[in-house]
Amino acid sequence: MTVDAILFPSADAPPNGNAKPAPAEAAALLADFVEVLIPGEGDWPSAATVGVQAMLATRLFEDLGRGHFARLATAIIAAGGPFAGRSEEERVAIVQRFEATEPALFGWVRDAAYIAYYENPFVGAVINAQGHPYDVRPHLKGYPLAPFDVERQTPRHGRGHFIATADVRRVDTSTLDLETERTQAWGLKR
Amino acid sequence: MTKNEPCDVLIIGAGATGSLAATVLARAGLDVLCLEQGDWVEPGDHPHYSADWTWQRRTNWNSDVNKRHHPDDYPVVSDSSQVLMWNGVGGSTNVYGAIWPRYRPSDFRKQDEHGLQPNWPIAYEDVAPFYEAADRMIGVSGLAGDTAMPPREKPPTRPLPFTRAAGRLAQAFDKLDWHWWPAEAGVISENYDGRPACNGCGICNGCPRGSMSKYSLSIWPKALAAGARLRTHARVLRIEKGLDGRATGALFLDRNTGITEFQPARLVIVAANGVGTPRLLLASDNLANQSDQVGRNLLHHTLVSSEMWVEESIDSHMGYVASLISREFAETDTSRGFVNGFNFNCLTSTSSAGEVAAGWITETKAPWGRDHHRWFERHFGHCIGIHAIGDDLPNPENRVSLDPSITDKDGIPVAWLHYQPGENDKRMMNYMLDRLVDIAEAAGAFEYKLQDYRDKDGVYRTPAWHMIGTCRMGGDPETSVVNKWNQSWDVPNLFIVDGSVLATGGVVNPTPTISALALRAATYIRDNFRELSGTTRSAAA
Repeated sequence: MTVDAILFPSADAPPNGNAKPAPAEAAALLADFVEVLIPGEGDWPSAATVGVQAMLATRLFEDLGRGHFARLATAIIAAGGPFAGRSEEERVAIVQRFEATEPALFGWVRDAAYIAYYENPFVGAVINAQGHPYDVRPHLKGYPLAPFDVERQTPRHGRGHFIATADVRRVDTSTLDLETERTQAWGLKR
Repeated sequence: MTKNEPCDVLIIGAGATGSLAATVLARAGLDVLCLEQGDWVEPGDHPHYSADWTWQRRTNWNSDVNKRHHPDDYPVVSDSSQVLMWNGVGGSTNVYGAIWPRYRPSDFRKQDEHGLQPNWPIAYEDVAPFYEAADRMIGVSGLAGDTAMPPREKPPTRPLPFTRAAGRLAQAFDKLDWHWWPAEAGVISENYDGRPACNGCGICNGCPRGSMSKYSLSIWPKALAAGARLRTHARVLRIEKGLDGRATGALFLDRNTGITEFQPARLVIVAANGVGTPRLLLASDNLANQSDQVGRNLLHHTLVSSEMWVEESIDSHMGYVASLISREFAETDTSRGFVNGFNFNCLTSTSSAGEVAAGWITETKAPWGRDHHRWFERHFGHCIGIHAIGDDLPNPENRVSLDPSITDKDGIPVAWLHYQPGENDKRMMNYMLDRLVDIAEAAGAFEYKLQDYRDKDGVYRTPAWHMIGTCRMGGDPETSVVNKWNQSWDVPNLFIVDGSVLATGGVVNPTPTISALALRAATYIRDNFRELSGTTRSAAA
């Protein structure tokens, strides 16, 4: 299989005439991309250091299909990639352009990269080092939590009531105008 | 086609209610056969043991049938709701969260209260003993003594650990002078019935330990020990009816062999959930539908949500997903501008660091780039989620129907699902969102975000765990599908025991009530089987 077939299987031609990265270059493109998404800082390893690009590539193939890997490469290149030899400011600008022009694809890839990053045991260790008892596989051992203390933790506020079956009475709905008034603005768009 | 030997009771669907009915009836010595289109879900099949469990619950373990690609599923096309269910032994208890509150007495009397919903033909008091019995069978945790609810027995196990998120919320509710109570859960806090106590891992989408009641681990062993038979990969194509108006059995496809078989039965119980049951009845020549109510009045509950972040580190990724319940607004108060009420199902947080960054119930996401880790450190372990869940009014146009021309690969028409909130529901959700803001402010949150589940086009795309009301119970054959014993008005040896029979939705997660009603119906069938196996008339209301 040719590099074009791997990177651009659904396209007649690469997105620009000169962009024909070899597989190793394509892998580097992805590594550079996730490095911009989650750079290393302090004890935090970068996404590329813990291999997020490998997981991302696998999930792209598995969940979206080969064509979407080509879409990703195409979008990054169309946004000004590849990243090699660029300053940090320029790298950030490439990703910003990608985010603006392909928001749905970018969102999927960003979320997948985040999840892959925080699945990583090295990243889990940093969370632990910050004082959180976090486990990337918590189901195996669970988390130690003190049992509910009935004596101490039972609410004493005395609030709350219910209407018993025999006490249900007709309420006056005449002022609600549910049949005639229509709420146009509801939810967060108010 | 193969014709099998007749059984006493044929149960269609091996989920929560099918398993409870099978247990009751097999223990009575009846010959019970259950047909389940899906497979067993073994503990090792769950994603919980894998490091990529977060990814899996977004993909192959997604609760939404339209976001995973599982061969046991059937197509459900929805123009609105996210359709959450699992098709297999144990049904949706393989992926649910098992928050376990009960209905209130007024939930059964809405016709009396305001006239915009029907009364049930039964009262809270008719169901109460079965709540207790179901809780003992299933294994739950909670605390008696809540003055916002009728008195109840002490739950089989004490409440789950009172997390720091719960403590923070309790302070906020106290400040507001609002009711709160430790959450009831279909999760055991102590070893119970041969199953281990919850270990607080927080991955509360089903539980392969069985600490959260996954009915394939908690109930099915009882049914099988009592002699019930269960055939998996058996997809029912239609229920057949005889000239005497009685159901004769069901035609089903053995998905392993590809052979179609007919299973005769003296009595048929449908337990296929609020979508699967109306789909099957409608596909069976409009069975049990003289009222034209099959599939109509689909209820999901009104649902809006929030996330808030507090300065104090509360390690809210640990522990059972629900923390408190508030029943402050559960009853109707028309001064709010609408009828019916709602509860707050207060959560902890997601147990996944990846979901903290990639977005949980409000889709709040960490920024990418240099600010990423600063944002993560500020938000991880500081989050509390809340769902506000209310009683939506029925609308006959909110419904499950059949596609007139498209069928699945087994020849069953594809199910269509339409749901749109009404005027009262919208007013309630606005009010709920405002109260969620009150809670965030009372909790001293440094940040909060609301979720109204509307997409960019304004369509309400609720995560529809609760698919109820589509074969509702009632006292009048003209306006309901089943009578007070879950018996079809039209087909006297046909019973429906899943959530489709709920006439109103209450302000709570419905599985406890659905389970209690299934136990009640099964007990009635058990006690009246001789008559039911021959009668051509349903019991009166």
